[in-house]
Amino acid sequence: MSTDRTVARPSDEKLTLIEHLSRRLSLRQFVFAIALAFFLVSILFPFYWMVSSSFKSYAEIGGREAVYVPSALRLDAYRELFDPAHESFQNFAVNIVNTVKISIPTALIAVILSVFGAYAVTRLHFRGREVLLNSILLVYLFPGILLIIPLFAMVAQIGAAIGFEVRDNLAVLMFTYLAQTLPVALYMLANYFRTIPSEIEQAGLIDGCTRLEVIWRITIPLAIPALVSVFIYTFMIAWNEYLYAFVFLNDRNMFTMPIAINTIFNDPQPRPHVVMAASTIMTLPVIVLFLALERYLAEGLAAGGVKG
Amino acid sequence: MSASAQGAKRTLSQRWRSMSAREARLAWLLILPTALIVFGVVLFPAIFSIWISFHDVGLKELGNVFQAEFVGLDNYRAVVDDFAFKFQGLRSWGAAVTSVVYSFISTFVTILFGLVAALLLNRPFRARGMARAVFLFPYVAPIVSVAFVWRWILDPRPSGVVNDILMSLGLIELPNAYLAQRGLALFIVIMFTAWRYFPFAMLMILARLQAIDRTLYEAADVDGAGEWAKFRYITIPELRYVLGAIFLLRLIWTFNKFDDIWLLTGGGFGTNVLPVLTYQFSFKSNDFGMGAANAMILLLILVVFLVLYVGVVMRRVDDE
Repeated sequence: MSTDRTVARPSDEKLTLIEHLSRRLSLRQFVFAIALAFFLVSILFPFYWMVSSSFKSYAEIGGREAVYVPSALRLDAYRELFDPAHESFQNFAVNIVNTVKISIPTALIAVILSVFGAYAVTRLHFRGREVLLNSILLVYLFPGILLIIPLFAMVAQIGAAIGFEVRDNLAVLMFTYLAQTLPVALYMLANYFRTIPSEIEQAGLIDGCTRLEVIWRITIPLAIPALVSVFIYTFMIAWNEYLYAFVFLNDRNMFTMPIAINTIFNDPQPRPHVVMAASTIMTLPVIVLFLALERYLAEGLAAGGVKG
Repeated sequence: MSASAQGAKRTLSQRWRSMSAREARLAWLLILPTALIVFGVVLFPAIFSIWISFHDVGLKELGNVFQAEFVGLDNYRAVVDDFAFKFQGLRSWGAAVTSVVYSFISTFVTILFGLVAALLLNRPFRARGMARAVFLFPYVAPIVSVAFVWRWILDPRPSGVVNDILMSLGLIELPNAYLAQRGLALFIVIMFTAWRYFPFAMLMILARLQAIDRTLYEAADVDGAGEWAKFRYITIPELRYVLGAIFLLRLIWTFNKFDDIWLLTGGGFGTNVLPVLTYQFSFKSNDFGMGAANAMILLLILVVFLVLYVGVVMRRVDDE
């Protein structure tokens, strides 16, 4: 803000003004520091609590008072998730694999389809373009819960008709994720494509490339940063998704991580350390990916990229 | 040489012409997979949902939906008369009123937090980039993880953090079940929503703040305006459009939200909202007709919000 700039270049101003400002600034800095600390603590404490609780023992979890720092890095909770010898073994590895199996293909397919779609809506002229684009974007505002019932009925209907189990089918689930992520992906990529000058592509066309060659040789290489962020977004949406997986998955061996964690949480014997261990495993890749690519991702988020 | 150049020109223009003729077909081909998935998984089900809401669809009709009996407005009547839906005085709001109250207040608090956070991050300080990344954690972390961490922090046992702190301060004698008290549960759910979604508002506000013309503030300094005056007469007017846009988006998304409340309270203790009630009608009572009717009511309220917003708020902004 302008006051900071005034202080940063004190030689420009009269002395009394500087004194005046710096006195006020110190009070402002105090308020500023308090507010910043408030935000940081309220954000970071839950994450600290998640990770630290995952290393606690059952005794530390259910004691007479809260344990703020676990006495040792106990792996009891992680053993319950992964060690087949544990008495209440959760076989969480299967859930991790399921989540990966659905989120990576969702992200890949979303990127591929949205490259084509975004190219069509930004570079090619055709009738009904605006209507099509707007109706795809309308999905953005649509309540997910409204679609659950008809989808469930459709899936049951199709399952009864062709005699194949449509529930507990990760491929079916993936289609619902694609429908949720494609509008976002299309919107983000189309915005990016508009920033690429079309003259470069025109040159390619004049050199005798077909449209598809132009997309492959010119547009895609130029749009790599956008493709990466679209991939990460759609990956994160599929990775975190709860509602559709909750309704469409019945069999424990088909559960994705969110549903498995929900099941552990609702166990008659509460074991928060196990829930926190599983949550830590699920949260860590997302946070690491986000931090690694924060620069790209924050911009996409600011553009209203992700529905949350 | 000139003849060959002319020939090249002609083939080029022919290519252009044929390309523009083929362009539309190619465009449709390129966008077809996306359109098919979106229409197949969103648009068709949405229309089908209207059909279901007028039919008696239970578990046994599910395998053969089109045999279901047409019941007219019965499902809608059943929903509106349901004790979980309708307002029955201040002690029991019902899902319709709770939904509206929950989404309006959460959206307001979310934007307030987002505005404060954006103003904080708009000042230069060391590690600002890192702070911005940390501020986004609640928004990018999986909903299941963060909802369950907060439930564990608010755990009714004495080992829950909130109970532990309040008991050691001597403010309470016995541990409380915070999410199992009417009123308090709704308040916590609202604060959780604001905690989780303020980064979205923050990012959009921050982007707008950084685009404000600095000479406006410099001119205000020359005129001797104080911090508050600058905030009130420069910052807020400059942010008005973005605040309006965030309000509308967040209001719609919060109104549609199922996960947050379902994971925190399961819709109990005065926190039942329309999306959770839709789930309960459909998958707890296995009455898909009522579920669909409830979802249609949700959509209707949403459309009313949109119309009011576009008709009243946007017009007033345009007038000014």
